[in-house]
Amino acid sequence: MKLLTKNMLAAALLASMGTAMAADPAVVEKSFFPYKDGAPVVEGLTPGVVLTAENVDQFQDAVDPALLQQIKDGWVDITIGETTDFALHPNYISATEAGNATLGATAGEIQNFVAGRPFPQEPDINDPRAGEKLAWNYQYGYNWGDNAAIYPFYWRYRKLETGKIERQIKFNFHFLNWKHRVNQEPVPEFANNPSGLFRSIYVQVLEPFDVKNTQLLIHRYEDDLKRDDAWLYLGFQRRVRRLASGQVTDAFLGSDLMIEDFEGYNGRISDMNWTYKGTRNVILPFYNHNDQALTSEYKDPDGYEFIDFHGKGGCYPNVTWQVRKAYVLESSSVDPNHPISKRVHYVDAQTFTLPRTIIYDRKGDPWKSWTICQANPEHHLAKNKGSGVSIDDCFSMIDVQAKHCTTGQFKGQVDPKLNPTSLFTVQNLRAKGR
Amino acid sequence: MSIIKNHSRTAPRFLLALVAVALAASSSTTVMAGDTDVAGFVENATFFRDDIGLSKMRNTVQLEVEKMFDDTGSFSAVFISGTFRGTYDAVYDLNDKDYGKKAGSSILLEQVGLPPGALFPGAPGFPPAMVPHGGGIVLPGGDFDNNLNPNDGLLVLGSLLHPTDGGVAFGVPQRPCNVDSRGCIDGYMDASLNDLRFPEFNDRLDFIRELYLDATLPMKNGGEWGFRFGRQQVVWGRTDLFRVLDVINPVDFSRNNIYDELEDIRIPMGIFTAEWRGGQTKTFDDLNVQFLWKWEKFRPNNLGQGGTPNVILDAGSFFRGMNNCWENGCTVANFAGGGVATDFPPTVIGIRQANLPGKWFSVSDGEYGMKVEGVFKGVGFSLNALRFYQQLPVLRGGIPSDNLFTPEVEAIPHDYLIAFDIDFPRVTLYGGSIDFYVDPIKSVFRVEVAYTQGEEFANTLRPRLFSESDVVRWVIGWDRPTFIPFLNKTRAVLLSAQVFGQHLLDHEIAQGPLGPIGMPDWKNNYLATLLIKVWYMNDRLSPQLLSAYDNGADTLVVAPSVDWLITDNWRLTAGFNLKFGKGAQKFSDCRTCNPFPPYTSTPVHPDPFVPGDVGLGGFEPLGRFRSGPIGMGRQENELQVTIRYRF
Repeated sequence: MKLLTKNMLAAALLASMGTAMAADPAVVEKSFFPYKDGAPVVEGLTPGVVLTAENVDQFQDAVDPALLQQIKDGWVDITIGETTDFALHPNYISATEAGNATLGATAGEIQNFVAGRPFPQEPDINDPRAGEKLAWNYQYGYNWGDNAAIYPFYWRYRKLETGKIERQIKFNFHFLNWKHRVNQEPVPEFANNPSGLFRSIYVQVLEPFDVKNTQLLIHRYEDDLKRDDAWLYLGFQRRVRRLASGQVTDAFLGSDLMIEDFEGYNGRISDMNWTYKGTRNVILPFYNHNDQALTSEYKDPDGYEFIDFHGKGGCYPNVTWQVRKAYVLESSSVDPNHPISKRVHYVDAQTFTLPRTIIYDRKGDPWKSWTICQANPEHHLAKNKGSGVSIDDCFSMIDVQAKHCTTGQFKGQVDPKLNPTSLFTVQNLRAKGR
Repeated sequence: MSIIKNHSRTAPRFLLALVAVALAASSSTTVMAGDTDVAGFVENATFFRDDIGLSKMRNTVQLEVEKMFDDTGSFSAVFISGTFRGTYDAVYDLNDKDYGKKAGSSILLEQVGLPPGALFPGAPGFPPAMVPHGGGIVLPGGDFDNNLNPNDGLLVLGSLLHPTDGGVAFGVPQRPCNVDSRGCIDGYMDASLNDLRFPEFNDRLDFIRELYLDATLPMKNGGEWGFRFGRQQVVWGRTDLFRVLDVINPVDFSRNNIYDELEDIRIPMGIFTAEWRGGQTKTFDDLNVQFLWKWEKFRPNNLGQGGTPNVILDAGSFFRGMNNCWENGCTVANFAGGGVATDFPPTVIGIRQANLPGKWFSVSDGEYGMKVEGVFKGVGFSLNALRFYQQLPVLRGGIPSDNLFTPEVEAIPHDYLIAFDIDFPRVTLYGGSIDFYVDPIKSVFRVEVAYTQGEEFANTLRPRLFSESDVVRWVIGWDRPTFIPFLNKTRAVLLSAQVFGQHLLDHEIAQGPLGPIGMPDWKNNYLATLLIKVWYMNDRLSPQLLSAYDNGADTLVVAPSVDWLITDNWRLTAGFNLKFGKGAQKFSDCRTCNPFPPYTSTPVHPDPFVPGDVGLGGFEPLGRFRSGPIGMGRQENELQVTIRYRF
């Protein structure tokens, strides 16, 4: 019955697109199931192998340069797991098959896009706009589906050299797509959306006391050329404060992340120059949550256990990594005053998540090493099974210059009840504020 | 309207009952959902003032409790929230010679003197002298009883800020009201030593900072109603520091003048709010309508009491001295003829009483507001309307009083006589606000504007020495995070500036023969603030520089401070509060208002039988309206250290 409903939705989506040309099913199949004919093979890099300072050099083509250096320096050992299939939701795939998106004349413009993956074709290194297409695939990816919550979400600020935990912040994060929805009603978009919002993120700080009740709301518009709107509620001021865009490229609550780093990249396509640098088989932190070394230190009332951390400073998730197909995507800011000169993203080809990103400072030196773990929903919370969402499950942002890191431990929940539209209004910040 | 002495005690009992209900609810195990969330802090704030020494040693315990309930009937997200605060300020014990039971001393009041015949034909000369309280000349209306009003425990009005300089002054009792009841205005400025030491534990139960029940009623069309009932803070507006729209709750300036976070100094009030949260509509990105009713009896701003460290505008000192003049009589410097210290018997000049308006749970005397707020095409906006009572006091003359120049007790109103009641008129406010982002300059702008009708101001041109004026206030705020590499290479510096303007639309001022007369408040005045805030060590160390300049007062306050989050639990804040500039200013003091014609007329009065001001002035009492809170605090430079432990 559930499958039937999903198929009906997909059919409805197709019908809503009228006479538009559909994507080649074979291309879509290849895009969403890259391991159908077998997992990528790197000689010697088999499940159970542990990458250490002693042996990592022989696998250097399968490890991004930042992580390679850290393993060489003995900061962390990486255990390899089996490459597994992270199938996204069938409705998202169906919507992709029905799609016929094209790029507009300038960066940040996309045409004829309704839902799904806008550009399922393999990127062409000779296509000058291949990077931009990959960026759109990420932007309109099924990252958290139509909506989801990280509920709760623990961040820790740590000293890399000593492992000292300087600060711990407990959040709730909520995500909602206003448009390009494929799975939950209304599909494909909400009716009352006068400014054409694409996506909203709502963040609420629960602990500690000095930042308790801080709330953040980000509205991203469908028109990528339109600047995001963001508001911050500060508990000690009891007031909603509109954020300047500069604040999205600044340390968020003193962490090693900026708002623009959320989910790998949290900004407009038009803010960056995107360059496709090739396709590689590299190790990425994909795994089954329930098979990992977990910690129960947070005493979750449902008994949920979080991903644990290890390695130098406790800055590394203690998870297994898979050899996966990745697109290397470089982004450099259009704004010359941006604090980052470029990011190099390793885009997971199957899910279009951004599990690994290397961030360079304005001088071009490596600055931060950004890891977002991906958990298979079939091996996570019961409510996440069948969601078709690659679950963001932990993160690590290491500032290699400041020798500092911020780690994140998620309880990701794909649950529409946690994300009503009323949560994503400016007034909700005031209503929730204390 | 009732005078304060008769104010009701019903409502504190109601608040206590509210506490009991909340505690009972939080202890129940059958109707609750989730755990009770408890947090709080203990804090010590120690301030040292230039030329004084210890000016604050405030020890605070604050507890915040929140309990979520299961959905109840049609309501969801039902919770009770309470904030409880207790304070002990040890300054009244550790520095009791300045602020406690030993404060004040005997005083001498200035007499600049008059030549023979100047006071009246045939009058003797009065040499320049310093005259003790109780040692002024005595006029036919009589003297005051030095036994009831001794020259002890007093401070000359304004003497910490300026010399008398030919103006008027009188003694201000300094000790807490249980030690020295002189000048204590019942129910308004009558704090005992324990009231000052433990300010939250009073008959309004201020230790209950907040205690309210909140519930949401989802509607079928997707919107929802939010209801909140209880003691709470309701915050309007978008800007910092200035209270253009943020006027629902009165403010306790006695805590740290204008320099504490508003969250800590808003006086929570019993308020009911009903808010329609429409969310997205076909036109608006967000649209909401809020209605509010203040059901707790009116409370004015707390201006601080004479004899305490934080007395904004030094108004509390003036009021206390004036109430002492009314109830016990007083000696006024340089009064008669503008040069002779003069003794006044009781009930001639001064402040008689404070009349607090409003009632508990009153519909007819209550305060109401409405706000429409939303987001339209990415621009946040609000439209606000509020019917409330002015939170700053106004002195209304024209009360029955005696003539200083006749032996009889007349008890009749005298025009232009400085004999007042304190009142709080009803005011209507219309306002609005917007905020928006300007991408080319990477800046956020916040704008608030309010237009009020019904506010009253001092005015020596009017027989009762006050008049009404419509007022426009506005503030424009600007925020820009900016990378300044020499301060921090990886973290932006917050630059935040605001400009505030106030315009009295019915302002009256004229040039009298001896100086300006009319309304001492500036017709148009502007203040500007600038905040520069930097972060280091993952935001655990944050120096900042906050400055504010009052254009009319020509005074600047600079407050550099460092905030160090030692751990998640411990926070240390240390800083200075320094003022520069002009400070005290002069205006007509109404000595030459000729309230008892022809006895008080001067040679420059065109008709000695017609009262009216001709403009002789000094620093006191009306110059304070020109100096403003920054200028009147010109001599209150402080080192401020606060340490807080959170739990």
